[in-house]
Amino acid sequence: MKLANRYNRVNILTSIVVLAITGLIYYVVIHFILTEKLDRDLVVEENEIRQYVGTFHKLPLPASYLDQQIAYKNLSTHIPEREFLYTSYYNPKEQENEPGRSLITVVYLNGKAVEVTITKSRVESEDLVRIILLITVGITLILLLSLLLINRFVLNRLWRPFYVILNGMKSFEVTRMDAIAYEDTPIDEFNELHQSVNAMAERVRNDYKELKSFTDNASHEMMTPLAVINSKLDSLLQTESFTAQQGALLADVYHATGRLSRLHQSLLLLAKIENNLIPDLQEIDFKEMVAVKGRQFQELFEKDGLSLTTDLQAVEIKMSRYLADILLNNLFSNAVRHNVSGGYIHVKLDPAALVISNSGKPGNGQGKVFDRFSKSADSEGMGLGLAITKQICNLYGFRIHYAEKDGKHVFAVHFAG
Amino acid sequence: MKILVIEDEPALLESMLAYFTGEGNICEHASDFASASEKIAVYSYDCILLDLGLPGGEGLELLTKLKKLKKRDGVLIISARHSLDDKLAGLDLGADDYLVKPFHLSELKARVSAIVRRKNFDGDNVIHFNEMIVDVAAMKVTVKGNQVVLTKKEFDLLVYFLSNRNKVVTKNAMAEHLWGDEMDLSDDFDFIYTHVKNLRKKLLEAGAADYLRSVYGIGYKFGDI
Repeated sequence: MKLANRYNRVNILTSIVVLAITGLIYYVVIHFILTEKLDRDLVVEENEIRQYVGTFHKLPLPASYLDQQIAYKNLSTHIPEREFLYTSYYNPKEQENEPGRSLITVVYLNGKAVEVTITKSRVESEDLVRIILLITVGITLILLLSLLLINRFVLNRLWRPFYVILNGMKSFEVTRMDAIAYEDTPIDEFNELHQSVNAMAERVRNDYKELKSFTDNASHEMMTPLAVINSKLDSLLQTESFTAQQGALLADVYHATGRLSRLHQSLLLLAKIENNLIPDLQEIDFKEMVAVKGRQFQELFEKDGLSLTTDLQAVEIKMSRYLADILLNNLFSNAVRHNVSGGYIHVKLDPAALVISNSGKPGNGQGKVFDRFSKSADSEGMGLGLAITKQICNLYGFRIHYAEKDGKHVFAVHFAG
Repeated sequence: MKILVIEDEPALLESMLAYFTGEGNICEHASDFASASEKIAVYSYDCILLDLGLPGGEGLELLTKLKKLKKRDGVLIISARHSLDDKLAGLDLGADDYLVKPFHLSELKARVSAIVRRKNFDGDNVIHFNEMIVDVAAMKVTVKGNQVVLTKKEFDLLVYFLSNRNKVVTKNAMAEHLWGDEMDLSDDFDFIYTHVKNLRKKLLEAGAADYLRSVYGIGYKFGDI
């Protein structure tokens, strides 16, 4: 939930509650005051009747009173108590029943008790209360509406710099040098946020640059001793006075050195792809390339008795030839490496995707295959091939998927992203 | 051939010199920019092995210098930087080939031999070895007048062996030469054996002596018996 929405919800709820309570209090208080006033009027009327009766010894005519009704009733035995009550009565002027307030009292005329009922119309006070209620409800609605409008227009504009900064942070890449975009605003919080974010980005970039140059230097420095080891091994081999046992030891050292330098090259390559340091974009005839790769791997297929079937359509992809080569190399060697003796490899290429399926042992590490240094226990590889493949796909916006079912392993590279 | 090795790492320099010396090759060396540019200016070489990271100057400048002097020396760049930019810049400046550290000495020798052959024979790119005549440009092999029909891989292998005569060449180096080092090959190079076996059989059938020997299971040696 957005901050503005959240804030607004609280705001609106509070307003509704406060306004409802206010309305209720208004209603009760005004109702009370108006009733008080009616009652006082009724008492004045009652006093007038008593005075009239005291002076003239007869009851005043009911018709001589405006806006009120007076009714008399002779009482014989039961003397009621004096009381105020709400009634409804017939208004002959309006010719309809109206709500009223009545006072029932008793006057004594010539020693006889007469019940007097004085009724006044409540219509006006009811109307007043209703109008007050309507005004309250109206104000509530206007308030809600204005809050919504404020939310929609004013708040959105106020928050825009924040979203600009947020988007800048989302698209932040440590390798790119551009500062985080910003929209001028008089609001201190956003200015401060922008400054802090930029300062942070700068620190991250500096750290990254340092780390990167360290890695680069370390890699290059490592290459020279590796080259020395390699050349010394080659030289040692030429002296040719080894026993078979020493020869086997030499073979092991060769083996390890070869792995080390391949590992090293793979790591450098990964770093380079990550930093997009391989620009060399060109249109590549992928069909031709896949076909060539198939021939290149022929010896490896034959060695394990694998059969290769292909279903290739002409596809042109814009990418680096070097990386395309590595991509195919890795996918092909993966299909060979994790195959079973006498298995199959099927390569399908169409404009949408390159799909390589191969037989293999069922169920090795789903999901993690693209992680660096993740490999199955019996793998001879370094666990970097697929990480590199994935990185290449990321670079060009391809999507790569891996699925395995009953020993059928499928790698699919979707070009459209 | 006359070769100049420009390399600042003494251990590596020594190995390269040791590998190249012999068989009538003359090897000279330089370990810094100043002595290298002096040698380049004064003498001519069949091939110059140039390390890009030199003390005292950028290796690529030597290429510019060479171009200014209008020399036709072959140049092979050796670099620890596996960078496409460097490679393109080097080749643009007139280098003949580019090799990334670490490398196999046999690969280096094969590449240097290829450069020297191209430079010296101007297209007439033929290797003579005892009773064998190998025409590299036409991909033809004749033994005592008999033509030997080889596959592309077998032919490349033969040229590789001939460039590394009397040297032990590892299977690893052979595999990288034939399939490229970008290929994430398995560590089991048995499939090379098939090619070597076929090559040997074809040469023997054509009447050549048996020049190929397996060495300790690590590699092969091609040369005089």
